[in-house]
Amino acid sequence: MEVTSLTTFVFSVVSVMALGCAGLVVTQRNVFRAAIALAGSFLSVGILYFVLSAEFVGVVQILIYVGAISVLVAFAVMFIQDVTSGSRPARGQVIGAVVAALIFVALVFTSFNTNWSTMDRINDPVAIAALTEGWVEIGTDDDVRITLESPSTSDEVVVENGGVLVDSTGVLGVLLVREYMLAFEMIGLLLVAALIGGLLLMRDPERTSGQPGRKISS
Amino acid sequence: MIIEHVLFVSAALFAIGSYGVISRRSLITVIMSLELMFNGVLIAAVAFSRFTPPAALLSGDPLTAEAIRSTLTGHAFAIFVTAVAAGEAALAFAMVFAMSRAGDSIEITDASDMKN
Repeated sequence: MEVTSLTTFVFSVVSVMALGCAGLVVTQRNVFRAAIALAGSFLSVGILYFVLSAEFVGVVQILIYVGAISVLVAFAVMFIQDVTSGSRPARGQVIGAVVAALIFVALVFTSFNTNWSTMDRINDPVAIAALTEGWVEIGTDDDVRITLESPSTSDEVVVENGGVLVDSTGVLGVLLVREYMLAFEMIGLLLVAALIGGLLLMRDPERTSGQPGRKISS
Repeated sequence: MIIEHVLFVSAALFAIGSYGVISRRSLITVIMSLELMFNGVLIAAVAFSRFTPPAALLSGDPLTAEAIRSTLTGHAFAIFVTAVAAGEAALAFAMVFAMSRAGDSIEITDASDMKN
């Protein structure tokens, strides 16, 4: 099978899986089953990232969403909810459906009516080579992948058909610690704050001695 | 696979999630639907990163390493949003757990205790 049609096939299958599992999450009465469907939806979205040639984001998605958040949801369901009884009938199914349909129609209408500037300009390796004036082509592989090197800084990139960077993980790492250094550090601060906040909220006020009068929840 | 198809999936995931947020009663299911909405947004970010070139590539100037790196801005955005969503989910479940331990209902229509 040709590569592009295979990509389209995998994309279709994975999209249907993601949307089907998402539909189960919002319709399933049994909350534990909804949590399992949520994990399935996360996993499908992770595979979708691989199809979109975002390998690192796909791995992050599987590690954090499938590995951490789904487990957190499962634990929360087991700790909190009477699983078998499930959640009671919904509040406003009609208004929810109407609002969701409006959002969906608006988003799809906008995305199909906007003239996105697509990757055409850097679609083929020759155009990339022409764009990267001064960069030297130091290797090709079956006319699919070309390696370019900047003579001044000796930065190297590998570019594939479709204008996709092959070594996107390495480039992304450099991007995170150069251009987005501040945001990267702030994320660490935010996670520490969330960790401390979670610990404070989960603390049992009755069983914590030595700190009188510090009840967190009512 | 063109960008419109990916944006279609993203919009559908976002709409399904918003339906869940509006119509479900249990706080746990509402948080799960919120995560679905996050995923829809992230798919859009990665799709834009994959299909649309940044302005630095279209300007016609000779490429720099910064311009090539900027094609992956959507990936960096996705990673940051994932981290924020993870922290948010942990805090949200801690709050729901605190509510349920205090003996309160965890249904969203009853969740007005926080102002007390």
